[in-house]
Amino acid sequence: MTAVIEVSNLTKQYRDKLALDHVSLSIEPGKIYGLLGRNGAGKTTLMSILTAQNFASSGSVRVFGEEPYENARVLSRVCFVRESQKYPDDATPEHAFRAARLFFPNWSQELADRLVAEFQLPVKRRIKKLSRGQLSAVGVIIGLAARAEITFFDEPYLGLDAVARQIFYDRLIEDYAEQPRTIILSSHLIDEVANLIERVIVIDDGRIILDEETDAVRDRAVTVVGDAAKVDAWAAGHEVLHRETLGRVASVTTLGVLSAAERAEVEAQGLDLAPVSLQQLIVRLTQKAAGTRGTDDAVLAPSTEEVR
Amino acid sequence: MSRILKVVRLQLINKQTFIWVPLIVLGAALAISVLIYAMIPVDTPKYGGGGQAPLWYFFAMGLSALTLTFPFSQAMSVTRREFFLGTMAAAALGALLMAAAFLIGGWIEDATNGWGVNGYVFRIPWLWEAGPLAAGLAFFALAMFFFVIGFTGATIYKRWGAAATTVVGVGSGLVLVGLAFLVTRLEMWGQFWQGVLWLGALGLTLWALVVIAVLMVISYLVLRRAIP
Repeated sequence: MTAVIEVSNLTKQYRDKLALDHVSLSIEPGKIYGLLGRNGAGKTTLMSILTAQNFASSGSVRVFGEEPYENARVLSRVCFVRESQKYPDDATPEHAFRAARLFFPNWSQELADRLVAEFQLPVKRRIKKLSRGQLSAVGVIIGLAARAEITFFDEPYLGLDAVARQIFYDRLIEDYAEQPRTIILSSHLIDEVANLIERVIVIDDGRIILDEETDAVRDRAVTVVGDAAKVDAWAAGHEVLHRETLGRVASVTTLGVLSAAERAEVEAQGLDLAPVSLQQLIVRLTQKAAGTRGTDDAVLAPSTEEVR
Repeated sequence: MSRILKVVRLQLINKQTFIWVPLIVLGAALAISVLIYAMIPVDTPKYGGGGQAPLWYFFAMGLSALTLTFPFSQAMSVTRREFFLGTMAAAALGALLMAAAFLIGGWIEDATNGWGVNGYVFRIPWLWEAGPLAAGLAFFALAMFFFVIGFTGATIYKRWGAAATTVVGVGSGLVLVGLAFLVTRLEMWGQFWQGVLWLGALGLTLWALVVIAVLMVISYLVLRRAIP
């Protein structure tokens, strides 16, 4: 499949910080990507450069095969509402939606109206008087209703309560199923978005440390649950990412793919295999990356022979 | 082209900003001026500068068009070029509206002998010397000038921060003081004022349009690489 975004060797140097360090990646159409990483890892900078809101120090970016800077043809197919998005003075959500309707050719007023009702957003109140959660809702509604071919969501859930976040996730999946498009969702609430995202890109300190299918990432580790003594005996030969105990039951997450035979062996011992928390895995991978920075860490390098 | 028109509509989406607030400021300034004129017991025509109040509002408009609407336009996937052209067109519309209000005000003052109290806000003789068209153009240029100053200042701030804006502001001030010093040293003030009189309101307006054009070019070049 042809990529909608191609990034190669992208570097962004701020005065005293290297925000992006030789980032290369490609984004395929019709998928939901999770752009995960800590605060300040470079997520917003990367998305800003992809949408020509910010500028690269070096490297190249192609969106729909073209340079996005000052390119209305490309930009009109893209939507990126920042986490700290500014709105015109004295504008209300209604004004903002009316503007979005002008600029996004696939804008769905029906979807926007429905989301306004669900988020209980006061559309006639000035945006600067909205709460943090309501402000996030304005951005989420623009992002969803714009139905742009590539949509970026930058930490869209800030200030949203659990119910509102669930509405966002549900509507995202629903509308994505109806109108397939490319969605790039930046987040540090990894477990919350784990079930949405098909591919994970982890960025840490300006470098891409992971770029894989979500399922493949999950397969990189296993969680074995059962009798503490047996679990520990089994884990002895493996690299342990995480260990938890409750009474005599232990749960150990270890790195490494299990073969069918190994799985059978685990089950034969009366132990259970449980799904791995993507969040725990990524946290550990990020910590390991920080620990081994500068060296060539084989564990984290995405498998190169992966079939496209 | 149509996307530039959409930026004009984006700027005008909140009609309050570009249309109603300046008209309200103008109305208020006018009412206060007339009240004051009514209290001054002289028979000669009274002139005041109350009419300039809404022009200052254009400075604030230029400022917020950039600091707030520019970042929003970026979220609307508008290019910087489209944003610039659309915003300037919207400002020109606002300035035209202002000029129209000034002209209408001037004619009313003419017809009512200065609101019945021989007081004038719009019909400043020197501005109307070359006819209503020249007066309208002068008001238009003034409003645009304030808008573009605010817009350019905000663009420089956005691109390089507070220190650079201060340097540019103080620098421009120093250049003007330097020029004044030069004129004083060369004892050319007489010629200077003669020149101004010779140019008249229309001549000055045309020069103002040149300055506006230069500022526009500068702000566009700075905006090209500005980050929202």
